[in-house]
Amino acid sequence: MSEPPKDPVKYVDTSLHLPYRYAAGDFRARYLRALKDKRILGSRCTTTGRVFVPPVINSPESFAPVEPELVEVSDKGVVTTFCIVNIPVIGRELELPYVAASVALDGADISIFSLIQECKPEAVRMGLRVQAVWKPDGERRGDHEDILYFRPTGEPDASLESVMHRL
Amino acid sequence: MKLRDVAVVAFAQEPLVAHDEHRTAQELLYLTARRALAEAGVERDAFDLQLAGSADYVDGKPFGFVQSLDVTGSWPPRQDSHLEMDAAFAAYYGWLRVQAEECDTVMVVGYGKNSEGDLDRVSNIRLDPYYQAAIGLEVTSTSALQASAYMARSGAADRDLAETVARCRAAGVGNPEALLQEIASADDLQKTPWAVEPLRRGYLAPTGDTAVCLLLAAEGKAEAMCARPAWIHGADQRTEMQSLGARELAASESAKLAAEHALAMAGVKSARAVDVVELSATTPVEEMILREAIGLDPRGGTSPAINPSGGPLCGNPFMMTGLVRLGEAFRQLAGKAGEHAVPGARRAIAHAAQGHCLQQNLFFVLGSEKR
Repeated sequence: MSEPPKDPVKYVDTSLHLPYRYAAGDFRARYLRALKDKRILGSRCTTTGRVFVPPVINSPESFAPVEPELVEVSDKGVVTTFCIVNIPVIGRELELPYVAASVALDGADISIFSLIQECKPEAVRMGLRVQAVWKPDGERRGDHEDILYFRPTGEPDASLESVMHRL
Repeated sequence: MKLRDVAVVAFAQEPLVAHDEHRTAQELLYLTARRALAEAGVERDAFDLQLAGSADYVDGKPFGFVQSLDVTGSWPPRQDSHLEMDAAFAAYYGWLRVQAEECDTVMVVGYGKNSEGDLDRVSNIRLDPYYQAAIGLEVTSTSALQASAYMARSGAADRDLAETVARCRAAGVGNPEALLQEIASADDLQKTPWAVEPLRRGYLAPTGDTAVCLLLAAEGKAEAMCARPAWIHGADQRTEMQSLGARELAASESAKLAAEHALAMAGVKSARAVDVVELSATTPVEEMILREAIGLDPRGGTSPAINPSGGPLCGNPFMMTGLVRLGEAFRQLAGKAGEHAVPGARRAIAHAAQGHCLQQNLFFVLGSEKR
């Protein structure tokens, strides 16, 4: 936005304040509550068996409903695509540069987004094995910030072939 | 121009509630779309084109409509468009695309949980930011300005407003998807306090949470999806200026023109010749103005039946109300209106509006036979 107007006759100053309160919904609430227990849940398509994390009530591809019982996936996974961010992010205090990555959790068919820390940005690569670092017990609130970031596990990298179909 | 025969073949709506804390907008839409497809006996991939109508300010995010894609479909890539309008306008656009012979079947959806944002603020910033929004006008106030103007011109009194609402409320008893399903007498309605004078709280249309899905199909495909399709015989839409001060608020010239053109396209002489009219009237005065615009007695008469579903005064899901009117007209012709069915209905009018004080008006004329 440009500089505030110096001559009020030339401008009309309008500031919008529009509050929203989104219902998590009974279905997603189960996923969010599980984060408090350091558990990550997904939903499985009744037709294709694909597992979506976070859970959705229908497969976007097959249109079939998911199984009513959610499935637990690992908090370990593999970095698929990633980027090294050198511009400040709105609403978060992060030291630059930092790595934002797409992480395919073991047992899930789609990736989630998170930060990769506890390693140099240049050390992050496709196929890197990583694990969630959770907020300490008592501080988790059942939202997506309960996972602070992912860090390398030290396990051998996953092969590129195993990553390419999960980008 | 030779028009293609296009029909509404299915319609589904989740029962309207003031606040649904159990399901997201997307989840509501999935359930609704499933029901509409089941009604037509087809799967999602039977549709060539998918269209959504909603407001990003209701969703609270720019491009908020993309969340509907997990329901309507986006893989393999699909033909899709979104209108920042009541979903009835998406149905109109879909009808045009079928007329252009670009497709035969269209899935139309509307969604957006009214309860999650602040609709008064949203209605305020829909006005121009220089002169109207700045003084705090919102939809109840602009509707009251219109009501005052109409009452002064027509002589309609508070009692007439109350009786109009009471009629809608009595009809809403037979509609299991309405938000208000209890009778309210004109006497009781007249005892409700002023919201913005001359509109009382009892005269306001309650918004809420739902999702809607309507299926369109051209001749040759419609017959297999519905035993009694509602064929679209005519359609037209007209808009007026945004500035309230520059408009004739006590009447609706755009509604009059759009209705005249839609009726002429349908070969129907007058609105009096149809059996059912569903109007997007969100105040009793809007109902009177719309009745007058289409050539009906503004306050009375038994034929055609006006808003046998109870209309928006029994439940007004913002950005979906117009598509509900089209869906209700379909149900009347298809024999699916249940307790609020108008016996023997063969012709119907469905109306949708957009903007403050009926700024833009859309009419469909439907029939139980092909054109």
